[in-house]
Amino acid sequence: MTNVATGTGTAATGTQIVSEDDVVRVEDLRLSFYTTLGVVRALNGVSFNIPRGKVLGVVGESGCGKSQTGLSIMQLTPGRIEGGRILFREFNTSEVVDITKLEKNGPEMRKIRGNHISMIFQEPMTSLNPCYTVGYQIEEAILLHQTQDKAEARRRAVDILRKVGMPNPERIADSYPHQLSGGMRQRAMIAMALSCTPTLLIADEPTTALDVTTEAQILDLMRDLQNEIGTSIMFITHNMGVVAQMCDEVAVMYLGRIIERAAVDDIFYDPKHPYTISLLRSIPRLGVARGQKLESIKGTVPDPYSTVPGCPFHPRCPAAIPGLCDAVMPDETFVAGSRTHTVRCHLYT
Amino acid sequence: MLNFIARRLVNMFFLLIVVSFVGFWIIQLPPGSILDVQIQRLRMQGGNLPESMIQALRDRYGVDDPFYIQYWKWISRSLQGDFGTSFETDQKVAERIYNRLGISFGLSLTALLFTWLVAIPIGVYSATHRYSWPDYLITFVQFLGLSIPGFLLALILLITASRLWDQPIGGLFSPQYADAPWSLAKLWDFIRHVWIAIVVLAIGATAGLTRVMRANLLDVLNMQYIQTARAKGLKESTVIWKHAVRNAIHPLVMSLGTLLPALVVGETLIAIILSLPTIGPLYLDALRSQDMYLAGTILVMLSALLLVGNLIADLLLAWVDPRVRLE
Repeated sequence: MTNVATGTGTAATGTQIVSEDDVVRVEDLRLSFYTTLGVVRALNGVSFNIPRGKVLGVVGESGCGKSQTGLSIMQLTPGRIEGGRILFREFNTSEVVDITKLEKNGPEMRKIRGNHISMIFQEPMTSLNPCYTVGYQIEEAILLHQTQDKAEARRRAVDILRKVGMPNPERIADSYPHQLSGGMRQRAMIAMALSCTPTLLIADEPTTALDVTTEAQILDLMRDLQNEIGTSIMFITHNMGVVAQMCDEVAVMYLGRIIERAAVDDIFYDPKHPYTISLLRSIPRLGVARGQKLESIKGTVPDPYSTVPGCPFHPRCPAAIPGLCDAVMPDETFVAGSRTHTVRCHLYT
Repeated sequence: MLNFIARRLVNMFFLLIVVSFVGFWIIQLPPGSILDVQIQRLRMQGGNLPESMIQALRDRYGVDDPFYIQYWKWISRSLQGDFGTSFETDQKVAERIYNRLGISFGLSLTALLFTWLVAIPIGVYSATHRYSWPDYLITFVQFLGLSIPGFLLALILLITASRLWDQPIGGLFSPQYADAPWSLAKLWDFIRHVWIAIVVLAIGATAGLTRVMRANLLDVLNMQYIQTARAKGLKESTVIWKHAVRNAIHPLVMSLGTLLPALVVGETLIAIILSLPTIGPLYLDALRSQDMYLAGTILVMLSALLLVGNLIADLLLAWVDPRVRLE
């Protein structure tokens, strides 16, 4: 077994990073929120890896923990990491750090943020500080991690703005965020995130707030830059269409767990987990007979304060096996005949 | 920007004319005039006053003129810098005011500075350490500061200080320094006299502004761009002071507009208790005795202060936040 940790919490033995090709390896990550209403277990043992230079799509419904997984890697989550490891290796080095062991706002963590791992958020309208020019906000990151020279930082900021396809980058650098459109702001955010050529880019629904035309442009841009720089991307989204366009591999999350992980073609042409199958059936498609009702997944996501025994999807699962699915949590297993496709479901054990 | 300021100044001029007219009208609304008071006094001192003398006084003060003629007499000279003569003391209005204006302004600005220097750091601390015990303590003290009336606090401080140590009571200077040239010893004597006023003036405003600062910062800290700043790898202190506070400070800047005149008049009660020669008590006396020129001048000055304060606030805001800048 290469790329998979067992779901029970004992990670593959003797690992630092199993494969030379992984930049990040998350093992059995557990995250909780302590609220006045009770404890919310947001992540219940999430394990995955992101290969170098690849785009991993993380999909799932709202509240399944995909954003929190991304924030955990940055140590920016407001929740508490209660277990597991996040192993990270910078480009071209053999040194591996466990991010969960670093102090949350300590100097080592800050050296990774924005430099080796950077992040783009969902809301381009609010993710830039309205009080500073776009150029200044990009320079801030460059001055922090790359160079002390202000003129040089400015030059690089303008360069990267040009690279993300901004017309007249000098003028854009001197503009304030409110003077730019949503698409332009998201380009500026991408420029900021890529200004230090990070090893990993975490994109948390970067196109959800944009219109389709702009979305397509931004996705093209990210694909191009990813090819050029070689950055790995963790692409968090709930849009399967975007996944098909962007990703090399896909991890499907449900209630704080990854329930299926495969190459993008396998997910679309050979989905295994009933949840993935339902998710794909709920997308409207061209060519499907008119008048045919779109399927929806029955039921709703369980209350976050409660815990579901057995497989978390069994109350909504059309193929649930009574006595098994509602009692025993399925392990993550390889689909027969594949070395990359894993699923967490009793149907395939 | 210069164009904007020029336009604002022209607007201010016309606004002040309107304010002074309405103010003057309201001030003379109550029956009687300053002259009746003076005639009363003269009668008590010297018995009968000949009707001709009363008439002479009436003519001199112009109290029989309709108010718009009185107003015109006053405002036309005011525009040339002559605010007239106080009916009550026969002093020039300008003299009576300017003596006190400096003190009022000094006190208010010190209190304002003190307010900001205290309110901003405490508000920031309170917001970044929400629901910790220092935050609860700060909140508790804030509510105390908001709910204790200034005059009561002034009395309590005055009595406590005079019991505990040799706190001078009343006035700005001890007699031996009153006419002395400025020196370190005189400055110290001055501080000893006015600290209570400054503290009392500052405490109410500080309590309010700390609360505003805390609430605003809590809002701003939830904004996406704060997360962006953190994701860049900035230090938490940089995130707070550079990215968050600048976005949370708007209401404090805007409050400057109203705070300026509020502080100048707000000290009235405290100044009366501490017998400080500031504008507030003078204004009150002028209104009570219908000393038209004096009251009108102070009113116009306070309005001017409000307008200037607002202009300063607007300019500061434009400096802080590019979104309100005019192209």
